[in-house]
Amino acid sequence: MKRIKIYFLIIAYLILILIPLFTDSSYFMHIMIITYYIMFVSISWNILGGFIGQFSLGHAAFIGIGAYVATILLVNYGITPWLGLPLGGIISGCFAVIIFAPCFVLKGPYFTLATIALAATLRNLFINWDFVSRSIGIVLPFTDNPWIYMDFTSKKPYYFIILGLVSLLVWFVIVLDKSKLGFALKTVREDEDTAAAININPLKYKLITTFISAGLAAIAGGFYAQYIRYIDPDMMLINYSIESVLPAIIGGIGTVGGPILGALLLHPLSEFLRSSLSSYNSGVNLVVYAVVLILIIRFKPEGIIGWLNVKFENLIRKFVKK
Amino acid sequence: MLELEVKNVSKNFRGLQALKNVNFNIEKGKITGLIGPNGAGKTTLFNLISGFYKPSKGNIIFCGKNIANLKPFQRCELGIARTFQIPKPLRKISALDNVAVGFLYGRRHINNVSKARELALKLLEFTGLLEKKDFLAKDLGAEDHKCLELSRALATDPTLLLLDEVMAGLNPVETQRFLELIQRINNDNNITILIIEHVMSAINKLSDKIVVLNYGEKIAEDVPEKIVNNKLVIQVYLGEEKQDA
Repeated sequence: MKRIKIYFLIIAYLILILIPLFTDSSYFMHIMIITYYIMFVSISWNILGGFIGQFSLGHAAFIGIGAYVATILLVNYGITPWLGLPLGGIISGCFAVIIFAPCFVLKGPYFTLATIALAATLRNLFINWDFVSRSIGIVLPFTDNPWIYMDFTSKKPYYFIILGLVSLLVWFVIVLDKSKLGFALKTVREDEDTAAAININPLKYKLITTFISAGLAAIAGGFYAQYIRYIDPDMMLINYSIESVLPAIIGGIGTVGGPILGALLLHPLSEFLRSSLSSYNSGVNLVVYAVVLILIIRFKPEGIIGWLNVKFENLIRKFVKK
Repeated sequence: MLELEVKNVSKNFRGLQALKNVNFNIEKGKITGLIGPNGAGKTTLFNLISGFYKPSKGNIIFCGKNIANLKPFQRCELGIARTFQIPKPLRKISALDNVAVGFLYGRRHINNVSKARELALKLLEFTGLLEKKDFLAKDLGAEDHKCLELSRALATDPTLLLLDEVMAGLNPVETQRFLELIQRINNDNNITILIIEHVMSAINKLSDKIVVLNYGEKIAEDVPEKIVNNKLVIQVYLGEEKQDA
């Protein structure tokens, strides 16, 4: 059973790798790249929100920091994004640790409110800050060395870069999920008092997780800036925080596969609805999208991954019997 | 030899004085009972010893070291483990992993997850929860939660174990099983135990010494045989005898 599942996943993964060889539709490639980008952000959100249970609605702030750090390093100092992305991650991680350390006194929804405030404050700060060229935003220039400065004119290199990044991240989360550190995170999520009673310092692990989660979100933000080639403070709007939370919730919060499945489902669905329904009447696609979300939350509040897993196993059983 | 000394400990919650100048010692390798009516301050005292509260006044000496200002996880490292009166299982995690996490982060500091699970299996066999090892903690019953609490506390390799009403709400058969279990923990592993309990028959059988609290004050400290005949204790539990009845 386990082997069949692994084969299935490997085949699905190979199909994703081979897609660019069979299509030239840049619209389709764009949807896939943004899907992977949302997947990446959602997985990194899930480390903080799912594994250790600190529900942040401020991840757009970290995405924004990552985008701005990588972009400013590139535009002002000519530093390659290959270095800018990890640097943005480290800066964002440290920033998140400093800001969240006092916030972790707050529990549950109060913590979430603080994270919303963080992203909103940062956006307003950037709107009025000359160094980051205020609300005008920054346009990333094109150079002659796309492999050094990550400014490809084709979408295919971006496809492979983000697919590679997501693959690394998924591998990291699979390891984390089974590691000793993963045990500490889940213990803190389930009960902080229990954690403290068995020699786990809840604050320490929350801060470690914050660093990882905010750093990864920033790397995604850095990539997004290189891909879209224009950034402005509006990328820190709460919509983009929610965009990173939704796939994890729909897929299955605190699971490895949840945000992956959620992103693969949600972004293509929203694009499909937009292209097929919005010609009838403006907004119809959003209504349908919302209804789908409501139905999933109503009937599978713990996410669809567990339910889908059981269905899939039953299907394999039937198949094997025949 | 003394394992734990509680010296002049007071605890105020704003205007409410939960504990007033409580003094007592726990000897190494012994079982000490802690009893008292509801609201007497037993659980507050537990929280002070395990570090969830800090005393307003007084010192708590563990193995010769003042621990009154240490955090709970630092005290766990020194060898104090506790159970919670209302069990706090890790709900979405299997019973086995609930215990394994104690091995991973407790005083044994096992770094290998599969090794920790192996040890957890042995411990679950000892505490009698082996059959339910793969259940998620949220799917277990109340008595299994109590057993899980006890197992997880033991997994951290304590020298002093604080048990907060582990037998409350259990049926007589289960109570008997827990009695034997606690005695074995005390004898075989030489773990000092401080236990809060309302089941008097159980605590009389177990304890080498009983401390009685009432309204935050220690009113008696003696061997069980003398405690049950102590006038003050009877008065606290049953009320005053009417003179002209």
